[in-house]
Amino acid sequence: MTQLTIAIAKGRLQKELLELLANVGLCDPREALSSRRLAIEDESGCFRFIFVKPMDVPVYVEHGIADCGVVGRDVLLESGADLLQPLALGIGRCRIVVAALVEMPGNGHGMLRVATKYPHIAARHFGARGQPVEVIELSGSVELAPVLGLADCIVDLVETGRTLRDNGLRIIEVIAESTGRLVVNRASYQLKAKAVETLTAVLDAK
Amino acid sequence: MTEPLSKIPSGLRYYWGQEASLRRAIEEAAMSVFDGWSYEEITTPTIDYYSLFERGMGAAEAERAFRFTDADGRLLAMRPDVTSGIARAAATLFAKRNRPLRLCYAAPVFRLKGLSHAEWRRESAQIGCELVGQNSPAADMEVLAIATEALGRLSLDRDYVITLNDVEVFNGVAESLGFDSDSRDQLRQLVDGRNSADLEQFLTSCASREECRAFSQLVRLSGKHETLDQARRVITNARSRAALDRLESLWEIIESLDVSDRFEIDLADVSRLDYYTGLTFKIYVEGAGAGVGSGGRYDNLIANFGKAEPAVGFMLDLDALAGLLLSRNEGGTVTAQPERQAHNVMDNDEIALFREAIERRTQGERVAINFSQVMP
Repeated sequence: MTQLTIAIAKGRLQKELLELLANVGLCDPREALSSRRLAIEDESGCFRFIFVKPMDVPVYVEHGIADCGVVGRDVLLESGADLLQPLALGIGRCRIVVAALVEMPGNGHGMLRVATKYPHIAARHFGARGQPVEVIELSGSVELAPVLGLADCIVDLVETGRTLRDNGLRIIEVIAESTGRLVVNRASYQLKAKAVETLTAVLDAK
Repeated sequence: MTEPLSKIPSGLRYYWGQEASLRRAIEEAAMSVFDGWSYEEITTPTIDYYSLFERGMGAAEAERAFRFTDADGRLLAMRPDVTSGIARAAATLFAKRNRPLRLCYAAPVFRLKGLSHAEWRRESAQIGCELVGQNSPAADMEVLAIATEALGRLSLDRDYVITLNDVEVFNGVAESLGFDSDSRDQLRQLVDGRNSADLEQFLTSCASREECRAFSQLVRLSGKHETLDQARRVITNARSRAALDRLESLWEIIESLDVSDRFEIDLADVSRLDYYTGLTFKIYVEGAGAGVGSGGRYDNLIANFGKAEPAVGFMLDLDALAGLLLSRNEGGTVTAQPERQAHNVMDNDEIALFREAIERRTQGERVAINFSQVMP
């Protein structure tokens, strides 16, 4: 029996996904959440789940260490990984937005300073409209940057918008919608076609 | 601070010992298969004009080459593929030779930037062959048979899959939607990534609901012969239909030869390279996270260099194959040369030392000169 290794993004998506997996009988979420083990198998031994940081999901899958992965579209857009994306899971719904303290950030000419955890998405977004930007890469609490004057605006992931509001920021535009995606390694898609199909069908039927 | 000399540029490496010897063994095994099918070895220049690759591979691919200028200011490139150089030779050097022309090669190629995060190498070795002057399912089958034999020679015959497609299936659909080259490329990326969710959204603005559905289904079409029938149900344009008929003729040959369990039709495998005009295929082997080889038909490439004629070929990625065989640590028919015990040749007289060493070498023995007794 072919075993599929599935890399799952820890954090935001994880809880919803484990509920989804439990509903289709693939994995017991309590075990996964209570223990600190980073790899667990389902009862049938058909699936092995590994839990890694969201940005590492495409890395494991692209190298074929994991056959499949579940990760937000935001991470895929940022990493530019060469992966197959056969399924949108409809979980972890959120938006990648430009947000700032004022409606028209910047001084209207010259550089716009953009703080973000998504330097590629930000550069591509502003590059497409010919707006010169200075991308300031941060690894967390991005909302602080405009408040403290490090940046004119931010590019960040927004779920409810509460953190933005609490810090006095407003959404200026939506760059992309993001939901959880099933991603598959190119070779695994061909060599473990049956197992991947089974997984896709089970998750699609939810 | 200066960089230490010990540093190696990223994406480049040394090979030694067992791995180096295994690479040579794989290369020799593959080249002997090509020779067995009457392919003649050719070596193309490592450095050539950038324009050759731009015309050959298309600008998007050629731009990944290491580039620099010649003494006269013309732009040169380290060869990022071998096929472009062979296509030029076919149209010029070998213009008057009888057809079909059968050529094979084993050579490193160079890329400034890897294809993906997993493909970090900037120098990688390709082993491949090209069949020039024939356009028929039989010619396509010849290169597939050679690929199959080469994989068998490497003891990989149990666990590989070759996926087949014809780029004209996609081209026909894109044409029927009336796309410009930008939208076409976006569409190709979505199909190639099997990204049905984004694909549907992308199509709603520019196609009828019926076309949307037809195309989203194309993404999931893979399997054996039945895939062609499924495709015919949703794809009606003449260009795609002709491609499906060609695939069917090839599939019939494959089935008659009883090798269809090694092949899959995958209509969503839309190749990156612009030069393919018909059949395309990719080779996947259990244990390798990416494809280990690819190929296809490129009937318009040679016309760039003067003379239009059909051609088909494929290449194997030597680094992927060597990595795979090393990690499996498997015997099989291709193994690195076993480390032979060397005869320790030692003498305080240099003349006697070399007499003995040379004598043992003529007997075919392995020798290692030990200098410990030689006067300094």
